[in-house]
Amino acid sequence: MSRLANAIPRLLFGLAALVAVCCAYSGAASAADGRLYPSGPPNGVAYLRFVNLTSHEVTITSPAAKIAIPAEAEYRVREFDPVPPGVELTGSAQFGETSKPIDVKLTANEFVTVAVVPDSPDGIAVTVFRETPSDFNALKSSLGLFNADKACTSGQLVAGDNHQPVITDVAPGAIGRRQVNPVNAELAVMCGGAGPAVQAKLGQLNAGDRYSVFVVAGASGTDIVAQRDEQAPLRP
Amino acid sequence: MNGLLAGLAILVIGDSHMVTNGYLITTLHDDLLAQGATVDTYGMCGANAGDWVYPTTVQCGRAERIGKAGAEIDRKPNVPTYQIDALLAKTHPNLVVIEMGDTMAGYGQKTLPQAWIYQQVHALTSRIAAQNIACVWVGPPWGSEGSSYHKTFERVKEMSAFLSTAVAPCKFIDSTQFSKPGEWPTIDGQHLTASGYRAWGTDIARSLDQVMPQVAKKP
Repeated sequence: MSRLANAIPRLLFGLAALVAVCCAYSGAASAADGRLYPSGPPNGVAYLRFVNLTSHEVTITSPAAKIAIPAEAEYRVREFDPVPPGVELTGSAQFGETSKPIDVKLTANEFVTVAVVPDSPDGIAVTVFRETPSDFNALKSSLGLFNADKACTSGQLVAGDNHQPVITDVAPGAIGRRQVNPVNAELAVMCGGAGPAVQAKLGQLNAGDRYSVFVVAGASGTDIVAQRDEQAPLRP
Repeated sequence: MNGLLAGLAILVIGDSHMVTNGYLITTLHDDLLAQGATVDTYGMCGANAGDWVYPTTVQCGRAERIGKAGAEIDRKPNVPTYQIDALLAKTHPNLVVIEMGDTMAGYGQKTLPQAWIYQQVHALTSRIAAQNIACVWVGPPWGSEGSSYHKTFERVKEMSAFLSTAVAPCKFIDSTQFSKPGEWPTIDGQHLTASGYRAWGTDIARSLDQVMPQVAKKP
């Protein structure tokens, strides 16, 4: 993930707006109002990431850049990039001849995941997941269940052989989130109370880290994409 | 005092509260020396936690004080940031004390920028934890309301509560417990008067002595 992230442009939408935020952030808040320095990003910050949940490469195009997101596990979930809140960010997701518009405006502290998902008959669709988390805790791990499967009417994240519920009743297009102890649990996803449990491999959870488990419609049932979240720093 | 700081090598880092003579680079540093510790203090004006991890510059100066020497203060603009990995390698501390909060609390903003703060904090504490060095994080004091810094008692309280859950594995020292809101006067809403820095330094040193039994030590 990081190799690719370093190799392609990070600024996806509204390059000028993002630069403006960074410059405002780094600039002295000083002379005009007597302060020596600002306290945090002056205009706030939000975070945006792109996820490719299809089985093929997709392209994200914006006024500022074009990036290809492979379908390989290590590249398909990009890191959260800082973006300016309150700015309309536009672009499109493309696969072959199909292009789906993207138009999002984030609020301060919001995390938005733009997921490109398999869909017929066009091949792809775009699902936008939005959350403003407040569960940052360096002693816990935070698990998020992102239901991107329209056929999975009630996504469940379960743990262990007895399928102990961890996150329940997540509708398609929605997110469920829960803090857990940083352990090495066997996690799986079920759709509804019955049906097969599909393994979600996250391994040993680290204290303070956040994780995403995506529920995706697969060729023969439910597929799972599970990964630790990465967040790019907002730097001057 | 329990005498638990004697013999420790302590690295103290912080923001503008460490970059002027008479501030914590004087008072806390002296108090820790008096407890028998070896102390190195580094401060960067306006620096966020991430500035100690990702190289950049600071706009309003930086300072360092090594052991019993006096503070060396560089007020030039655009001075390079100290980097935590280099400081750890140079000072070989048993304990790192981080004083930071005012530069990240989003004073004047509607909401506390939790995600951004958490990332900044996590970036710094992870570097220290990776070397299995004990650490303590000191939160901001109350300050004064109504200044150009837009600092408010409510936001300081909110920031302190947030830091208390965000700084692990570092232990957290809540500076708001040392005084009542407004009890320590400031010169500009954020920076204390000389008596305030004396009291803050003393209270931090006393708290460090108290929390040391709970702080994981480098084997």
